[in-house]
Parts: sequence; structure tokens; C-alpha cells
Amino acid sequence: MRATDYLEHAWSNLWKKKLRTFLTTSGVVIGIGALVCMFAFGQGVQKNIRDQFEEMDLLNYINVSPRHGDAPGPAHGDPDVQPRYTTPPPVSDPNREVTVLDDAFIAEVMNMDGVEAAFPEMRFPAQVRLGEKEQFTLIQVVTSKACNSELVQLRAGAPYTSDEPNEVILSDSLLRRLGNTDPETAIGTEVEIRTIILDFSVASLMRMALAKGDQRLPISDRRYTFKVVGVVERMGFGGALPIRSDVFIPPGAADRMKKLVLTGVSDLFQPAEEMAGYSTVTIRVASPAQVAPIKAQFEQRGLRTFALMDQLSEMRVGFVIMDMFLLAVGMIGITVASLGIVNTMVMSILERYREIGIMKAVGATDGDVQKIFLFESGMIGLLGGVFGLLLAKVVSFIINQVVNGFTSGQGVPFIQYFSFPWWLCLGAVAFSIAVSLIAGIYPTLRAARVDPVVALRHD
Amino acid sequence: MDADGFIQTTDLTKVYFSGPAQVAALHGVSLSLGRGRFLGVAGASGSGKSTLMNLLGGLDTPTSGSIHLDGKLISDRSKAELALLRRHTVGMIFQSFDLIASYSALENVAFPLLFANVAKKERGRRAGELLRTVGLEGRDHHRPAQLSGGEQQRVAIARALVNQPAVLLADEPTGNLDSKTSEQIVRMLYDLKTEQGLTVVMISHEEMLLREFADELICLQDGAVLSHEILRARP
Repeated sequence: MRATDYLEHAWSNLWKKKLRTFLTTSGVVIGIGALVCMFAFGQGVQKNIRDQFEEMDLLNYINVSPRHGDAPGPAHGDPDVQPRYTTPPPVSDPNREVTVLDDAFIAEVMNMDGVEAAFPEMRFPAQVRLGEKEQFTLIQVVTSKACNSELVQLRAGAPYTSDEPNEVILSDSLLRRLGNTDPETAIGTEVEIRTIILDFSVASLMRMALAKGDQRLPISDRRYTFKVVGVVERMGFGGALPIRSDVFIPPGAADRMKKLVLTGVSDLFQPAEEMAGYSTVTIRVASPAQVAPIKAQFEQRGLRTFALMDQLSEMRVGFVIMDMFLLAVGMIGITVASLGIVNTMVMSILERYREIGIMKAVGATDGDVQKIFLFESGMIGLLGGVFGLLLAKVVSFIINQVVNGFTSGQGVPFIQYFSFPWWLCLGAVAFSIAVSLIAGIYPTLRAARVDPVVALRHD
Repeated sequence: MDADGFIQTTDLTKVYFSGPAQVAALHGVSLSLGRGRFLGVAGASGSGKSTLMNLLGGLDTPTSGSIHLDGKLISDRSKAELALLRRHTVGMIFQSFDLIASYSALENVAFPLLFANVAKKERGRRAGELLRTVGLEGRDHHRPAQLSGGEQQRVAIARALVNQPAVLLADEPTGNLDSKTSEQIVRMLYDLKTEQGLTVVMISHEEMLLREFADELICLQDGAVLSHEILRARP
């Protein structure tokens, strides 16, 4: 028998039992639909994260910092979220040459192949006050050039025009915490930035001597007034973002401020020579593929590095685990559907017992009979796969609309929660056919074993 | 016995086992039938007629003894080889016609050609031609339920002939037909034998009908050949 004959024969036989075919296929449709939906959701999550990384241009960055033993790297906007730096193995020679992250280092990096940009990162803790409300945060020093680049997406106002003025850009989340929910009205207002300093003046030492408990520290503060010129949307998650803080000020203004550039207790124990220079230098490379080789060069020099590319690789492992979990849940539906196929095929064979005898009497081999029923089983799988895919598309569309309908009211942009890559669509149909064929093995073997003499006597 | 032995059986025995019980449906049947001859097989119910037919058609295998067809031993062949024998060399018709109810007359006749890898167009052409040969012109698209018993048996005959077999085995083909239709059907088999040189083995409990058309007649009783008559000598 030719393949087209098998297909035609299978379709013809299934069509004769429309209701049974419909019910059996429905089981497969629901099973495959659920499986594809879950997988598409997993893919959607991955795609959204990947797209966000790419959109935010995060995969091309490497953060480099001096090696401080096992201390964490430079602090970011959220002090609880510390990037996982790659620490090179300790150098045994105590007289090793220390790489200082200064302007000469930045100039040297800029000349490296594949490096597009390199700029220092400096942050310090401070209290920010707007009106009556005050918030503790990390101030990030950002050049006006960086502020004018695509790295800073302003929601309101404009970037500062030079590196000198006492101008500040705030994040909208900090602004909300400071009691202002309308970024436009914040532009032009003044904020007070209160820095922490070590104060060893006589007055301070006297205060310390007379104080009790935790007041026995030589710490004081300084207050500076800044004008709000812009409001940015704060980045939503941690990582080595080049610009990621609630407050940006220009370097000139930062130089004029007295401040304690401490981002962690470990900074207190750094060797003096390592305290020189910047705490972190952010390097932008031309493509994500160049991250690993350039990162390796810095690590060879005893510097610590961090790149989101590394975390993305770790996330991929997590995605695989998530996919496996979703697959396991989806397989419950498929298992039930395959039992339905077995039942239908066994019923079909019992009903067509005599027909099998006729087939064999006119020259069909056991293999021919087996293939006839396997094609029917596979056809159920094909129909189940195609319509299951359509069901998944329809369900995902509805879920997307409903969820986005809710979230759009809260100002969240439209998110496509499901993703249907081509391999998922083809794979779903192929998987459905494969499962149906496997489910059809027992019934078809049973059909092939039918004794024609007995079958032809069968009523 | 025929000297050229187109179909030849030697000490053919078939024993059915049912638990500890053994039933010898055939024992020691030896016969020889020449090419283009018409053999009638008569006998009471349970005499072993259908068992003989199933063994000759390769639907079943003998417990002992041998079957030669056109000089080739077929009784030791595998199931797949026997299926090919039925596909190309042996056509079979049955008492209850055994047509597929959901197929049209044309589809029923063309059915064996599916397994012979014949193209769809050619299947339709050959089936249509055979339906005309058996006198069912214009009934191509009728389903078995829309045909009389005689017409259904004609469809079954056409189906048995569609692969141009050398042997036609008919197991009680007139069992469900009235006497007039029975005679028409047997005459058709006789004509096929005469015009196409087909070797026909027909089982029937109507001995008179067999005597009218068959060249040879054997009577079976309790699985053994009771008598073998040459009714018409070879021309």
C-alpha cells in the first residue's frame, strides 16, 4: 500500500465514525493545547526577559573592579542585590603589581579591540530630602555625556548640560517615596542631599566622648542643595547596569561635596593602594560575543569582573528546569488523551474484526493491517496536534487580553506572555503524532495478530 | 486424480487443539487438480470442507501433509508469503459475501488492489471493468446493503478476480442465495473457468448443482475423502 492510500484509508475510516473521532481527538486537542500553552508561557517568560536584556542593551557590559579579597563588589541601587563577581584566584606574590582603576586605566581600556566605551562608576550613600520627606539612597555620579546618551531614559525634564552644576536627576520611584507622584511637577524643585563624613574635629571628638551607646562614632554630615532637572524610570531589577541608581549627579558637583565613599564594611579593610582610583569601571563592548574574551583579559590582571551574560547563562539552566516542570504537568493531559486513543483503537478493531479478516483474505499482510491502524492512530494525533495548537493560540490570546486588560489600568505596558516559536508549533504536532502512534502500538499489534479464519467466522 | 497436479495435496491433516481436546478437522486428504479444472467439494456440515478451503487459500496451515500449488510447496510458507499468495495467485469468495458494508461496490472490488500497490486511477478502472463483467454495470456506487444477495456475491466474485488470480476458491458461495440465483452464480464461475482458464474449487452442500457444473467432485466425510468422481474428462 502506498502512503497516500494509507492516509486516505485512515481518513475515510475516521470520518465514518465522526462522533468517536471527534471525542477522541478532543482529548488530544485539550492535552496538546494545555501542554503547548504551558510551554508557550515558559517561552514567553524567557523571551520577555531576553528581549528586555537586549532592549536595555545590558549584555554588552562588563563591570571591572579591583580585587578586594572576597569582599563584594561595588554597591548598586539596591544594597541587598549584589552582583556575583568573578574573582580571579589569589595571587601568591604579596608584592604583585596592583591595577588601579584610574583615568589611565580607562584610556588603556578604550584602546582595546572590541571595546566601545569605558567609564568610571562612583556611588556614595546619602539622605535625600524633598519637602518634609527624606529617603536614604546611593547617589551615583554620572557624567553629562552618559546622561545625554540612550543609557538614561528620562520620563520628564532634561539631562544636565555639563559636569559642573548642582543639578540632579531622580528616579520616579524615589520621587514617589518622597511624596511626588507627578514627575513633571518635580522639575525645577530643589532637593537636599545630606552626605555622611568622618569628622575628627575637636568638637566632634568631644561629642563622641560625652555620648552614650551607638553615638560613639566620629561621624557627621553635610547638606547640599540640588535642583531637579530630570526624572528617570528606575530599572526594574538588579545586575550590572551601567546607570542604575535613584539619584544621579554630575562629577563636578560630586567633587565639591564632602562625603564618605563607602558602599560596604569591606571598604574599611581595603589596602590603601587599592582605595586609589575608581571603585568600578563599566566597559561596553561591541557585541555580547566579545564579553568573555575581554573579561578574561581583566581577570588575568587580577581584576574582578561581572557581566550579565554570565547570569543569562545561569538563567538558561533555570529555564530548562522550568520547561521540564511545565512539560511534566502537561504530560498528565497527554497521558489521559493517549488512553483515549488506545480505547478508541481497541474499539475500532473489535468493530472491524471481520473486516480485518477480509483484508487478510484478499492479500493484506500483518504489516499492512498494522500500518492501516497505525495511520488512523497517527491521523488522530495529527488532527489533535493541529487543533491543539490552535486551541493553545486562542487560549493564550484570551489570557493575554484579560491580563493586559487588568494591568494596563495600572500603567503597565502590553506584555505578550506567550511565545510560539516555530519549533514549538512543529514540535507540538510531531509530539502529538508520536504520542498517538505510541498509543496505537498495542491496538495495532492486536489487529495484526487477528486470525483471518476466526475473523471471517465472526459475526 | 489429475496428472499435472496444479493443486496437489498429500496426506493433508489439520488438527485443532482446544485445551487437552484434539479435533481432527481433516486427516490424510490427498488430491490433485489440473489447471483450469473445476473441483466441487461436497459434504455435510463439519466434514472439513471449509478447513480444506482455508488450507488451500493459505488462511490456515496444515498440522501435517503438504500442499503444492503450480508445483511449489506452499504449506511451509510464512504468514507474509501466504498473504502474497492470496494477493496474486488465489482469489476467495465466501458464503456471506464478506463485503465491507461502508464501501461502495466499486471500492469493495478495488480493495485488494490497495495491497498490490496499484494506483488509484487504475484501481477504479479495473474494478469498474470487472463489475461490468459480472453484470453489475451502473451499480458502482451502490453499497452492499443496496444490492441483492446475488448482486453482492457478484461483487465478491469481481473482488476475487481483480488481481487476476490463477485459482478461485469459493466457500459455499450459494449458501445464502435462492436456487435460481445460485445457479446463475455457479454458471458464472463455470464461465470464468471456461473463458479465462481459471482453476475453481467450490464448496457446496448442493451436490446436484456441483454435479451440473464441476469437472470433478469429491465428497468429504469426517475430514476424509469419501469419494472422488471425475464428472468431465479433460478435453
